[in-house]
Amino acid sequence: MTAGVVAWRLAILVVLLASWQWLTGIKAISRMPGLYWLDPFFISRPSAIAARFAYLAGGQVRLSIWQMALSTVQSTLWGFAVGVATGFAAGLVLGRHQRLARVFEPYIVAFNSLPRIALVPLITMVFGFGLLAKVVLAWTIVFFIVFFNTYQGARSVDADLIHSARFLGAGERQIMRTVIVPSALAWTFASLTPSISFALIGVVVGEFLGGESGGGLGYLIIQSLGTLNAADMMVALLALGVIGSVLALGIKQLERRLLRWRPEYREGA
Amino acid sequence: MSFDVSDQEFVAIVGPSGCGKSTILNMIGGLVTPSAGTVEVDGLRVSGVAPPNVGYVFQKDTVFPWRTVARNIALGLEYRGVTGAEQTRRVREAIALAGLQGFEDAFPATLSGGMRQRVALMRTLVVDPGILLMDEPFGALDTHTKLNLHAELLRLWGVRRQTVVFVTHDLSEAITLADRVVVMTRRPGRLKLIHAVELPRPRDVIKLRETEEYAREYSRVWHVLGEEFAGAAV
Repeated sequence: MTAGVVAWRLAILVVLLASWQWLTGIKAISRMPGLYWLDPFFISRPSAIAARFAYLAGGQVRLSIWQMALSTVQSTLWGFAVGVATGFAAGLVLGRHQRLARVFEPYIVAFNSLPRIALVPLITMVFGFGLLAKVVLAWTIVFFIVFFNTYQGARSVDADLIHSARFLGAGERQIMRTVIVPSALAWTFASLTPSISFALIGVVVGEFLGGESGGGLGYLIIQSLGTLNAADMMVALLALGVIGSVLALGIKQLERRLLRWRPEYREGA
Repeated sequence: MSFDVSDQEFVAIVGPSGCGKSTILNMIGGLVTPSAGTVEVDGLRVSGVAPPNVGYVFQKDTVFPWRTVARNIALGLEYRGVTGAEQTRRVREAIALAGLQGFEDAFPATLSGGMRQRVALMRTLVVDPGILLMDEPFGALDTHTKLNLHAELLRLWGVRRQTVVFVTHDLSEAITLADRVVVMTRRPGRLKLIHAVELPRPRDVIKLRETEEYAREYSRVWHVLGEEFAGAAV
């Protein structure tokens, strides 16, 4: 990345923050209360957001921003991990057993076409307001993303690779381990970046309903809505943006390492 | 059609595309079950499973892209439970034999087509199969690389003398390499001719082509094969 690009990015950020701060500070009609060019009641202002962040990050509050962020990240990673593991296993099994896949197809399609948000009340009813409900919700989304990719991958394994393994003396389990799994993994990895983002969506939606016991940034958002506190809401949104980016970046790095045999991931490429 | 391949013999099958050369190879290898007739390897009838003593080199690139060169060559040993120092030693030997030193830890995507086929060949040879089936293994390579690999194959074959069945549509390749050339008719493929190549070994794949003997052998088979190519649908 060139220094020019970085400079431009910084310039845009500064201009954006400065105009936000300025436009929410000057009144459209002088001496009339509540009429701003941009009303800070709705979108707050950078200075207020920074102040609220400092407050929420400090030791005064019962539930600090760090605890909430940790809760959200934890739930997201759990939902992601469980979803990837089960989706991968199911995709592998059904991908290699066509009969089984045909039997299960209508159920999978039906469940997957269900808007997952509609499940939130049910999941809350069953699993309560804590971590578990959020993980389950994230899982219902991640599972299908990973499942469909792995399924495709397991089905499209090159038959000649399987034949050549067989000629080299491989048994069925060895073929599974050395040909089908690595082959399907390339497809699975392609689904990980969207999966982590969707896991985060699932968790935040879960937190909207979860109440304080579940904690999390989704809770902060809903609480801010209740108190009409735009600054807190902005703090939560910014935190979610940072968390989402870091998680996606981490997955990308992992993918790079594990798929380093692919030409597009070669060092220096 | 019916023909035998003797122990340690190098037989090439040539014929127009679509005549079923590869199918014959696949029947020997147990990938395809013949609709009529039988295939026997080492006196045992082949049915549906790869015979234990058979190695197969495909035309298509079947090197595992997610494994390095060394780990690709180690595959057969790994499957057979040869591990540790013994595996390392045999892989190193194979790499030296194929002139792949320095590429042990390279992934196939970084190699040329010729080198990948060399890896595929060594991967098959490292488990020391008595019978080697090769389905146009050099078909996708340029002439220069092809000649290099011919020399390589003959050198390796000279050491171990596997029984080889080599399918190709390239007559010069067949004559350069084989003891006998089996010519097939165009579809539906039948046996047209079995020609014994009377060229002394060891053969120099480059100089060989300039000799009169080579020209004579070539024109003899070409005469017969040409009829098939001429009549083949385009």
